[in-house]
Amino acid sequence: MKTWARVKALFHRKQLERDLEEELEFHLAMREEKKRARGIAATEAKYAARREFGNTMRVKEICREMWSFRSLETFWRDLRYGARALEKNPGFTMTAVLAIALGIGVNTGIFSVLNGAALRLLPIPRASQVVSVDQIFHGKIRRNVHGEGSLFSYPEYQEYREHNHVFSGLLAYEPFLQATLGGANPQQLFGAATSCNYFEVLGVRPAEGRAFLDTDCSGPGSNAVVVLSNNLWRTTFHEDPAVLGESVVLNRSRFTVIGIAPPGFGGTEPVPSAFWAPVTMQQALEPERDFLGDANMSWLGLLGRVKDGVSLREVRADLGVIAGRIDQQHAGRTTTLAIHAATFLGRPEERQFVFTIGGVILVAVGLVLLIACANVANLLLARASARQREIAIRLSIGASRWQLIRQLLTESLLIALLGGAAGSLLAFWSFEAITQFVLAHLPHGFPQLALNMSPDYGVLGYSMGLTVMTGLVFGLVPALNATRPDLSTAIKEDNLGVAGSSGFLRSTLVGLQIAVCMILLIAAGLLMRGLYSAQTIDPGFEMANVTEAAFDLGSEGYSEERANAFQESMMARAASLPGVDAVAEGSEAPLSDNHSGTGFLLPGETEGRQMEFNRVSPGFFSLLGIPIVRGRDFTAGEARAGAAEIIVTESTARTLWRGQEAIGKVLRESGGAERVVIGVVKDAQVSHLGETDRVYAYLPAGPKEQARMILLVHSAGGYESVAKGIREAAHALDPELVVDVTKLEDNLEIWRTPSRIVAALSGALGTLALLLASIGVYGVVSYGVSRRIREIGIRMTLGADGKDVMGLLLRQAMRPVLIGAAAGVAGCAAVSQILSKVLYGIGSHDPIAFIGVPVFLLAIALLASYIPARRATRVDPVVALRYE
Amino acid sequence: MEKQGDLVQGTLDMLVLKALRRGAKHGYAVAEWIHESSNDVLHVEEGALYPALHRLELRGLLSAEWGSSENNRRAKFYSLTAAGRKELAEAAQYWRRMSGAIARVMQTA
Repeated sequence: MKTWARVKALFHRKQLERDLEEELEFHLAMREEKKRARGIAATEAKYAARREFGNTMRVKEICREMWSFRSLETFWRDLRYGARALEKNPGFTMTAVLAIALGIGVNTGIFSVLNGAALRLLPIPRASQVVSVDQIFHGKIRRNVHGEGSLFSYPEYQEYREHNHVFSGLLAYEPFLQATLGGANPQQLFGAATSCNYFEVLGVRPAEGRAFLDTDCSGPGSNAVVVLSNNLWRTTFHEDPAVLGESVVLNRSRFTVIGIAPPGFGGTEPVPSAFWAPVTMQQALEPERDFLGDANMSWLGLLGRVKDGVSLREVRADLGVIAGRIDQQHAGRTTTLAIHAATFLGRPEERQFVFTIGGVILVAVGLVLLIACANVANLLLARASARQREIAIRLSIGASRWQLIRQLLTESLLIALLGGAAGSLLAFWSFEAITQFVLAHLPHGFPQLALNMSPDYGVLGYSMGLTVMTGLVFGLVPALNATRPDLSTAIKEDNLGVAGSSGFLRSTLVGLQIAVCMILLIAAGLLMRGLYSAQTIDPGFEMANVTEAAFDLGSEGYSEERANAFQESMMARAASLPGVDAVAEGSEAPLSDNHSGTGFLLPGETEGRQMEFNRVSPGFFSLLGIPIVRGRDFTAGEARAGAAEIIVTESTARTLWRGQEAIGKVLRESGGAERVVIGVVKDAQVSHLGETDRVYAYLPAGPKEQARMILLVHSAGGYESVAKGIREAAHALDPELVVDVTKLEDNLEIWRTPSRIVAALSGALGTLALLLASIGVYGVVSYGVSRRIREIGIRMTLGADGKDVMGLLLRQAMRPVLIGAAAGVAGCAAVSQILSKVLYGIGSHDPIAFIGVPVFLLAIALLASYIPARRATRVDPVVALRYE
Repeated sequence: MEKQGDLVQGTLDMLVLKALRRGAKHGYAVAEWIHESSNDVLHVEEGALYPALHRLELRGLLSAEWGSSENNRRAKFYSLTAAGRKELAEAAQYWRRMSGAIARVMQTA
């Protein structure tokens, strides 16, 4: 009420003044009239009325104040004054706004990527009602996992769905289900197996056809129906409405298309789904596995729509009871539930990963913003000393210090707002494009992501908050410094004045900039060096001229016999291709993201050990150029039989049987089979680039594993012709098979890409930081020179030559730079310890980064000081002495 | 008491509300009404009256409207809002309790 009346009054200021005037005027007139009626003379009556009334000005003042927002109005006045001050000095304003725009822009951009990846609510109607449910086990855990451990089994889902009191609907889905869409051009798709209330709970209506009915999920194997994504419908079926009711083949099973999802809907994962099938069809989609009946299998994500008026706490309490009941069937296990508003990448494992990486990057871009702040603070300090007289005069005629600080801070906020707005616009406009570019250039094997990076309230709030904070950070110190209450000296001080404490502050700021810049640049340098070593590393085996081919026989429903027959004739056909000189198979391609491990026991030991292993065919080692140091390779017969022999690496032999002959030693797999060592091969980084596993073994590829064997082909000829030959050979055997042929070298890309992206990002940030820091150094030195023209003139009149002056100026300019650089190097030594743990291939004490970067940075700083200093040495002493 | 007829802060607000109970009045009429109703005992200072009127208007207890006075001049007329009526009732009740209590205290020997 009050506020609103005041806001109205704000816009009717003049009206209000007039009304008040008229009201009081009327009162006086009435009184005057009354006095006249009593017979008092006209002039006397007028004066008497006024006298009785008292001070009309004071009354007006009180009323006026009552109607006004004093703080708002002074703010408005400060703002106008600040705008005028900025307008008067366009060079300064532009530089400051640009620095802040770059700083805020890069922060907002990074945040909007993070927001799109993990903070935004799901792209569905009334998304704020939908929560994700994940479980975290404690204590004794024996659990089968497909995907993440925090997922649920089907019986668990049914339990939660039947017995909760808080959801209007609870859905389950298997994410990242890979399937081959059959047809003339088979293609690999990501889809989801979902509970039949999936679309209903999400509130998504199919654009064409219908969603699932409850009867579609009535039991295992029930209703081979599928909803296609709009994207798939558009690209593969050319928006043909006749596809409804037709059947499509997914992993060799026929599914009837019942609906098309609305445009833009890709499910609830950052990798968009191309299709949705009932969860009860799981085994048709993944023939080699049966998840539905396994009560102890993690494979389903849960999303629930909370009933109106139910709080998150009530949801947690209600589901907690159900979790407790399930725990009773598993002695020694307790489950806690993680229940959050549903977002992309919401599972605890994903969350931790995204927030760690995101945190590191946000700190880095925060540092860039800090450099920008130091820059602007420095400019403000320089300007404040130019304005010292103005400020001193205002202080001496009675402005309070607080008023002046407020005025100066308003100016800083104005700069920050201009910069923030420009930077945010820049970020919204460019980051989406940059991210799309990066996503589109991920190497083979990275799934395509769909991130929505358009600004929402979260992003706007972040950039606004950051902007205001920025304005305060760079404005406060200069404002406090400029209004130091030592009036008399300031008024007297002329331009000859030595900068005093603000000079010290400026040097400190330069030092800080250099230190922060140094940290960013060395980190970038370390990352680049890491990238370089990743590009040039010798993994210990031959990658060039090796082609790898994977056939998804398992999910295509191949039986053991058929798989064996297929692989055998495939090997033969590949071996006869022109230029091919070696063919082998392995269950894991070297440096792929698949890993197999098992537990084993040494005779006489009770404590189990872990090893990573690969199942390989004879010829695997010679194809990859891994020398057999002792013993022998598997024979074809051993491979066919899946025999109990084993070949270990040198490290393994050293670790397990130090000083003894490894050949002939026995170890027992946790499955029970005893294996005899028949050979020792040289170590190779086949599992993780840059790491040699201490225990790594090769088992013979037996008949049971043929369905998932990967074909490796070594050829002297070009990759293209070999790849074509392999595809043709495979299709001759099975025309509908999806064949995934790549260069083995591409597996290196998977290892290099994260460090390449990080190196590119940190390189860009480092460049930005360097640019800002050198502007800072340049600004401070050139300001110092312009303030000391007279001093320089005197020195030169007294016989100093250009060299002396230059030396003096450079010494003074470089002192804070050197101190900052030293601090930066020390700081980065700490940072690199952390980085070397997170990212592959970074030595924490890389001499090239630690010496090269500081030298480079110092050279740039020297250049930034040299240019303005040179101007000083060209000064004509006569002109300089007259210079005011 | 040095100066007879001074008003305690807060009491003035109540008197202004009371003055407007029978209908809209302009500022001058409010002052006159209080003066006359108190048998010329209470004298409202204009310097306090107008700030009080504006304060009450801001609080939403009064509404104001421009109209013409008995001698055909433009004047600002104040009238009670519903909130103003409620406030008056509460203030009056409080005043009765307080003045009764003070009177009893003063009457005891």
